[in-house]
Amino acid sequence: MKKIGKGIGVSFYGTGYGNGFPDVSRAIIRLLPEGKIGIYCGVTEVGQGAKTSMRQIAAEVLGLGVEDIELVHENTSLMPDSGTAAATRQTYNTGNAIKIACENMRTELFKKTKEALSLNSTAGLVLENGEIILGFFPQKRISFKELAEIYKGEKILEASGEFTAQTTQMDEETGQGAPYWPYTFNACAVEVEVDTNTGIVNLLRATFAQDAGRAVNPQLLEGQMDGGFAMGLGYALFEDLNIENGKMKNNKFSKYLIPTAMDMIDIKNIIVEDPESTAPYGAKGIGEPVMIPIAPAILNAIYDAIGVRIKELPVTPEKLMKAIRESA
Amino acid sequence: MKLNVVGKSVVRVDAYSKVTGSALYPQDIYLDDMVYGKTLRSERPHAKINIDVTEAEEIQGVLKVFTYKDVPKENIHGVVLKDHEVFASEKVIRIGEPIAFIVAESEKVCDEAYNKVKIEYEDLPAVFDPVEAMKEDAPKVHGESNIIFNYKLRHGDIEEGKKKCKYIVENTYYSPMVEHAFLQPEAGLAYLEEDGTLVVAVATQYPHYDREEIAINLGIPEENIKVINTAVGGAFGAREDISPQIHLALAAYTLKRPIKVIYSREESFLTHSKRHSMTMKYKTGADEDGFLQYMEAEIIGDSGAHCSWAINVLRKAGVHATGPYVIPNVKVDTYAVYTNNPFTGAMRGFGATQVPIAHEQQMDILAEKLGMDPIEFRMKNIFRLGSTTATGQVLVDSVPLDKCIEEVNEHFNFSEEAKEGAI
Repeated sequence: MKKIGKGIGVSFYGTGYGNGFPDVSRAIIRLLPEGKIGIYCGVTEVGQGAKTSMRQIAAEVLGLGVEDIELVHENTSLMPDSGTAAATRQTYNTGNAIKIACENMRTELFKKTKEALSLNSTAGLVLENGEIILGFFPQKRISFKELAEIYKGEKILEASGEFTAQTTQMDEETGQGAPYWPYTFNACAVEVEVDTNTGIVNLLRATFAQDAGRAVNPQLLEGQMDGGFAMGLGYALFEDLNIENGKMKNNKFSKYLIPTAMDMIDIKNIIVEDPESTAPYGAKGIGEPVMIPIAPAILNAIYDAIGVRIKELPVTPEKLMKAIRESA
Repeated sequence: MKLNVVGKSVVRVDAYSKVTGSALYPQDIYLDDMVYGKTLRSERPHAKINIDVTEAEEIQGVLKVFTYKDVPKENIHGVVLKDHEVFASEKVIRIGEPIAFIVAESEKVCDEAYNKVKIEYEDLPAVFDPVEAMKEDAPKVHGESNIIFNYKLRHGDIEEGKKKCKYIVENTYYSPMVEHAFLQPEAGLAYLEEDGTLVVAVATQYPHYDREEIAINLGIPEENIKVINTAVGGAFGAREDISPQIHLALAAYTLKRPIKVIYSREESFLTHSKRHSMTMKYKTGADEDGFLQYMEAEIIGDSGAHCSWAINVLRKAGVHATGPYVIPNVKVDTYAVYTNNPFTGAMRGFGATQVPIAHEQQMDILAEKLGMDPIEFRMKNIFRLGSTTATGQVLVDSVPLDKCIEEVNEHFNFSEEAKEGAI
């Protein structure tokens, strides 16, 4: 018999290394020939979209398009350390470092503009589409390209930025402290169909709401949510290394099953925005939290469908049939 | 705040290179005069070893078979504790631990030499269950105790909390080790530049840290090493512990030849960390009005044969053990424990992925006992702006969990259905 049920899972997730550990990101910004901006920063692209979102943050500060920003992040001899691409920390930590570096660059650009245009001060200067403009007298303007011509070779314009996340070490006896900051929140609901004759669980629909502080790139964020959902689904229903006496028996993809596109459904993804004041443009990281509420939502939905609690992952058909028999 | 670029769905800048296949992954790179490497790994979970490479090194085309004796400086590495050996020296502590690195003119010769390396194993008693491993008389993986770390969270008064509860539910949950299953198995190259700079090109999550570890093993300054991060085919935490980097660096530095290694999928499974399995014993209680009053949890994480990030993972599990709920009286103990299993480390969610398997089911069980729907029960207890967590932290900024739940409930109507059910 096929039975339908629905369940919810919610979670919170602390960003960064935590526990007072120095969590530092650094970036250097340079004015490149042709008026482009170079970011030199050890931010690793592991598929999460850092190459794009870091450029977006820089482009926003400097009034440029993403295509005007170059990112050098692949060579330890050329870029400063920005910590690991882990702990959901790159958008928040390195995003902040890049934003600070770009703001410092803006100050430098304004100073040089003051000189170049013989202005009294830098007050009233704005950045727009690759130009530095005196907002209330826009006839006074100079482009990044023109500045780059002046400041090339040894004189090149450069600025740097550094951001250290704030957390405190926890008391050893009580565990009290502020171990992570900021926290990210989410909720996911799923509807499943459980076949009580085969033990197979099918997803019918899902709604997933993810707090992002602010979405730097909504489409990339939704991509992370889809990927996180698939990973959570695999964790809940499929993935089993079958370890016996220290040996992994399922050590290849023909035996170790992960979800494919055939197992996925169209998820209703909802981005919840509530800007975090310490974050770059309010953006929190979402790389890890997007997988967390999925498996518990599925487990709660299975219970709702058949009245049996599964307390051990993964919920393979064999395990589910055994649980159904034992509960009868 | 009016924004021009942030908040826009800009097309990802690396999309085109990835869909057209032009993105450069380490196995796509070829260098003149390049040789190949293959890692020989332990087949036993716990054993004394004796290594003889003489016969393998005599094969034509074999340049060298590296073992622990060939590491110029430190034979150890590790992100928190230095408890991985670059090559096992006296004993192996897990299946898959590197013992030797064969370097030859071709992959075929590497395979041939692989079978000629003689490893004598003398098996030692092993332990695979972290609960067993915590006992004093259990076989020891490293040193005197298998318990790496115990995080203690104490908040409020749990005896007082219990007294206020109408219902207390007690259950034990288990989440297994799982694989990151990234698409691109480990691969990499190393070579010397003309000025002697040692270059290691790999897919990694943290090139600067890799450089630091290579410097320690080889005993050369960091500024003489350059780590190039190629295109990365997924990571999810598995590329945090250094992997083929040290072997490649050692071979290129010693032999002065460019070298490449590509792991098979099976070797990739053996090589990198897994998600910590956790046994999670939970007691959670709520008062008659549906407010959470008490939670007690004991969480045991299997670290396998190496610590990797175990201390941080189990701390994170402890901090997140309550879920996003205000609970005035909490006692949590988490433990990280060595066994002779595959080692565990960072994986997406880092300890905070496992605990919701427990706390979210506990919430539903309590809600049902109280005759509430799962939304109503959660909305009574969740973190909101100004809430205090079990570690005493005040949430002063951006806590939109209520909004997340409302959005989800709008599409699923948990509350409505519960009401209908009651009628």
